[in-house]
Amino acid sequence: MPVFPSVEWFNAIKDIVNSDPAFRQLGTVDSVIGARVGSKIYELTFEAFECTGVREVGEHDLRDMDFWLEQTPAQWQEMLDNIKKNGAADLTHTLNTIDLSLPNGFAQSHDGYRRDAFYRFNQSIQDFFNASAKIDTTYAPEAVTA
Amino acid sequence: MANETVAIPANVRAKAQEKQWPDDLVESALAAGATPEQLIGYMDQGISADQARQFLAAQAGGGPEPSKELADKAALVNWPIDLIKTALAAGAAETDLMRFMDMGITAEQAREFMAGGGAGQPQLDLSWMNVPTEWNTRAKPTKHGLTLEGINIGRYGEIPDVWPYQTEMPRGAVPIPGVESMGYSIFEKQEVWSDNCARLYEEAIQRRWRPATDVPWDTIQPLPDDLERAICQICTHISEKEQMEADVLGRWEPDISYGYHEVKLFLATTIFDNARAVEVFRKRALSNGGGLGIQSPGWGFRSIVDARNFTEMAVIQFVLHDSLTLMQYAYGEKYAKNPAEKFIFARAMQDKARIVDYGITHLKFVMMHRADRRDEMQRYLDKAEGMMLQDDKKDPATREAFAIYFGGGKDKIHEGLAIYREMRRKHVEQYLARLKWATIDRAERLDPGMRVFIQD
Repeated sequence: MPVFPSVEWFNAIKDIVNSDPAFRQLGTVDSVIGARVGSKIYELTFEAFECTGVREVGEHDLRDMDFWLEQTPAQWQEMLDNIKKNGAADLTHTLNTIDLSLPNGFAQSHDGYRRDAFYRFNQSIQDFFNASAKIDTTYAPEAVTA
Repeated sequence: MANETVAIPANVRAKAQEKQWPDDLVESALAAGATPEQLIGYMDQGISADQARQFLAAQAGGGPEPSKELADKAALVNWPIDLIKTALAAGAAETDLMRFMDMGITAEQAREFMAGGGAGQPQLDLSWMNVPTEWNTRAKPTKHGLTLEGINIGRYGEIPDVWPYQTEMPRGAVPIPGVESMGYSIFEKQEVWSDNCARLYEEAIQRRWRPATDVPWDTIQPLPDDLERAICQICTHISEKEQMEADVLGRWEPDISYGYHEVKLFLATTIFDNARAVEVFRKRALSNGGGLGIQSPGWGFRSIVDARNFTEMAVIQFVLHDSLTLMQYAYGEKYAKNPAEKFIFARAMQDKARIVDYGITHLKFVMMHRADRRDEMQRYLDKAEGMMLQDDKKDPATREAFAIYFGGGKDKIHEGLAIYREMRRKHVEQYLARLKWATIDRAERLDPGMRVFIQD
């Protein structure tokens, strides 16, 4: 079972969405986004109708992303558990809802213009995380600050 | 009709050899008055040498014999037999000829028609095949398919700073003198351009959705009256302003000259997005036992409607107002009462983010190319922010409806008003951040009525 967070976990989701016609049906996504879980940062590259790349990166790579999603490991687990339980994020756990609920926001960016990719491609990114309902996730111990 | 032998031009000879028309046939046709271009055209159409001979014979009074029925009918209506034979040789069907006669078409009219290229044998020009446009263009599809950006190759991708044509001639085509003006008023790239408008167009096309069938309408359950009234008022407000935006864009679209078709196409998708928003929010208002509410006083709308140049309109509509609408959609998504409303607000949010993107990238393009317009943009925003704040004072319905919706009921309106202020704060923060990216620092010049939202 893929461990969250890990490149393996994100690749498992990537493989699911890339073979899902419904994901393609949402339309093109062109964005480089990040997922920050404790001290770990993962870069997800979306191009055209696919997620084309997953890799673990460092703090300095955040500047090259359109935006990254950041919350505590416990909050990430709550979100993913909610998705697993319901098959998709329920009314209180969508990416946008979480973004508006966290004091510093869920979607963060060094660039006020590029951050808008969170809105433009919101449903595709939501679908990406919703795909985690199709795998059994285990969780890494609380990430240790590097 | 001249019968002397004429010289066969080299291009006609080459075509005749390819299509197996003998020299004597070609010479006869040229002698009968056919132009080299016409002959090449006939050969390219697949007319055989035999057919060509029949036609020439008919022109000289020969041609296929008509049936007795046709001949009798022709005699009744005074169509000479040579006319019948010519028409048949040219490819006309007997049934068609008889029908023309029944319609009352005279022999003279029939001759005129055939001289103009009717009866199956058009008069050909074909000079258009030699226009000096860039040829051998081979745009290739990519992962995104074959996109607008992908076909901007060579001269077709040269987007001039000034477009010199008044007509609907496509960029890269050859103009014809004397074509009537379309009455465009926008000919400068800096007035409308953004470097990503072609990409935004493709994104808009790819990310379409269908309110009638994509929204999970059956997930809407009866709501308490105050919440239903609140969402219906919100839907009324949104429907109104999205229609207004579509109308405004629809008036500007014909002003933009054809050289900037990427912008025109993207704006067309925005009008479609506006229409979709009008549709879906009106549908929500009329789907759960409620109805529409009160219209908006529209103070903010006037600064958009009254804009005298495109960038003024774009800055006010797309950067200021649509930034707020985007936040309204984001907060609507968060506080949605059912999956249907969640879906609607989330999709509308995506659509709105595209036009905000265009607005801010267009503004940056203007700043990069016409830095002298910087203070002009600030003045537009001075005026527009003031007018938007008039709506705050004179439009309690929108504010209170959102507050009830966010708070979860009329009894929680004060909690909802706090959330409403938070939404306005986020709008101002994001608006300033976007402007900063476009090199406009508005922090010090922000209207005091908007500044209050970001002050602790």
